[in-house]
Amino acid sequence: MSADEEPGLYVESTIIMTTVRVVAPFVLTFALFIMFHGADTPGGGFQGGVIAGSVVMMLAFAYGIDSTRQWLDVRVVAALASGGVLVFAGIGLGAIALGGNFLQYNEYLPYYAKASKYGIELVELGIGGIVAAVAIGLFFLLAAGFGHVVGEGER
Amino acid sequence: MIEHLPVLLVVVPIIGGAVPLVASLYTDRAGWPIAVLTMAGHATLVGLLAEQVWSDGVVSYAVGGFALPYGIELVVDGLSLSVVALISAISLGVLAYARHAGPHENTFYSQFLLLVTGLTGMTVTGDVFNLYVFLEITGLAAYGLVASGRAASAAVAALKYLIIGTVGASLYLLGVGYALAATGTLNMADMSAKLATVGYDSTLVLTAFGLMVGGLTVKVALFPLHTWQPDAYANSPDSVSAFISALVSTVSAYALARLLFSVFTVNFLTAVPAARWALIAVASVSIVAGSALAVAQSNVQRMLAYSSVSQFGLVIVGFTIATPIAVVGATVHLVGHAVMKGGLFAASGIIERETGADTVGGYAGMGSRTPIAAGAFTVLALGMVGVPPAIGFVGKWYILVGAVEAEIWPVVAVVLLSTLLTLAYFARLGERLYFAEPTIREEAAVADGGESVSTGMLAVVVIAAILAVALTAAVPAVEQLLNETLPLLIQ
Repeated sequence: MSADEEPGLYVESTIIMTTVRVVAPFVLTFALFIMFHGADTPGGGFQGGVIAGSVVMMLAFAYGIDSTRQWLDVRVVAALASGGVLVFAGIGLGAIALGGNFLQYNEYLPYYAKASKYGIELVELGIGGIVAAVAIGLFFLLAAGFGHVVGEGER
Repeated sequence: MIEHLPVLLVVVPIIGGAVPLVASLYTDRAGWPIAVLTMAGHATLVGLLAEQVWSDGVVSYAVGGFALPYGIELVVDGLSLSVVALISAISLGVLAYARHAGPHENTFYSQFLLLVTGLTGMTVTGDVFNLYVFLEITGLAAYGLVASGRAASAAVAALKYLIIGTVGASLYLLGVGYALAATGTLNMADMSAKLATVGYDSTLVLTAFGLMVGGLTVKVALFPLHTWQPDAYANSPDSVSAFISALVSTVSAYALARLLFSVFTVNFLTAVPAARWALIAVASVSIVAGSALAVAQSNVQRMLAYSSVSQFGLVIVGFTIATPIAVVGATVHLVGHAVMKGGLFAASGIIERETGADTVGGYAGMGSRTPIAAGAFTVLALGMVGVPPAIGFVGKWYILVGAVEAEIWPVVAVVLLSTLLTLAYFARLGERLYFAEPTIREEAAVADGGESVSTGMLAVVVIAAILAVALTAAVPAVEQLLNETLPLLIQ
């Protein structure tokens, strides 16, 4: 739909496509690296999530927004966002189920020795997923312009 | 399970808010039932919590089991319980209204539940930084909801709200930074004790107070920081304006009261009279200016919005006077205003749907065309003016008595004047509704679309009107609860 309205917005460029193809895996790795650093060093889900979201934006600049939108299943984005929230809530409520307070990581210690550290890591990953999904969603939403139905898939 | 109630109150709407997003892969209409289910759970939790607070007093919860004051603490006392109950009740009412009035999208209900999360979190938290986090969640969800209106003006209003709201939240955060520098803690109870040892007249503490309170007054929308509010209320969909007009500023005013009583405490207000007088002055100006601006409006929803500016001035005055009776009055008016203003916005939405009237002139003669909505509107408006036995009367009366007891005569004059001005703009509407010749012809209204109105929508408005009167009966209970649990009033 938007392809008809805005012809010529996307220009294929070998240089950009090659660069993005080479750089994208490293950026995604860096995003995960930042996310995993949330527990004990500077970093975390918010920053890492934005970097992960930027990978999709890079792909969109290189290969065109519409083809990227088709390539990236909307279910993945929705699952990332909701799944992140549910991971966070699940870890929190799991601690309650084991007899502790909400998000009391040391309740998991009897089952796994490094539960405190990896519990926080998992929450950071969940947050990263939410942030990445929202960043991707907002990007596609803005790119689609105002021609589509109001209020679709914003959050 | 029972001891986890405060945190579950926040977690349940978060989970509920995540579900419609997944559900929208299968159907566009799953949002409403999910939201109703979530809010029913929320209301049940509030009921259990009320029972607990009623029997055991203040309930405290350490998130993550971290030792206090290092971890995040959630605290529920009489004041926060009243506000949480209000959030739960209004949300259910708005859901009943939105069932037919829309918006129907799943995303709307996701944002709705996120807003409930933010509001509940702001209410139960006992940590000044955590309060900021929930303030931002509330803000972001509210901006999104305002923008969900179909008109272009809704987007502009949301942008304005976003910019001004973010400035307010940032000021608050800056203030938290100063308070942290002064005391080295973020826990409200701990900070309150350490502020006293640092000294209330220290520059750090005064700056922190100014920034934190200043930031929250933006969110409460006191004059002259109210400019985002009329646009946001008048341009969003009816369900949204009923919801945010009833809750968002209310919970921010609650947060301000929480800062005054649990962080800076009444001793600070006594030790630094300038701070107290500044806040009373801002609130008093807000009362008069809000009323005057409301009288000048021709659009009914904008008039209601400016009326909020004035009523929140009254609430803040009550909290700042800080005598027990004034605090009870301010709390009662806070809750009562939320019920009445939400009801008024909902009723104005129905009247606009049925007759196409949205201006004071257009309301002429509509009393007979939409008898139920117009009747409820009139009852709510009279309650807002403060006609006994409505809840609006009790709140204003207690605040007035508090001001007289504290011998702050300018405030007494302002409160009385505001009642007159409130009467001025609501009486004008009442007169139009029932004693004027219609300016909108019936055929024109029907041809204009004449969107249908459901029983649920009418029921919400009628219940709001009944509550505006019936809540008066609950005032003694609230008074007792506050006296038992709020530290300021125990002394």
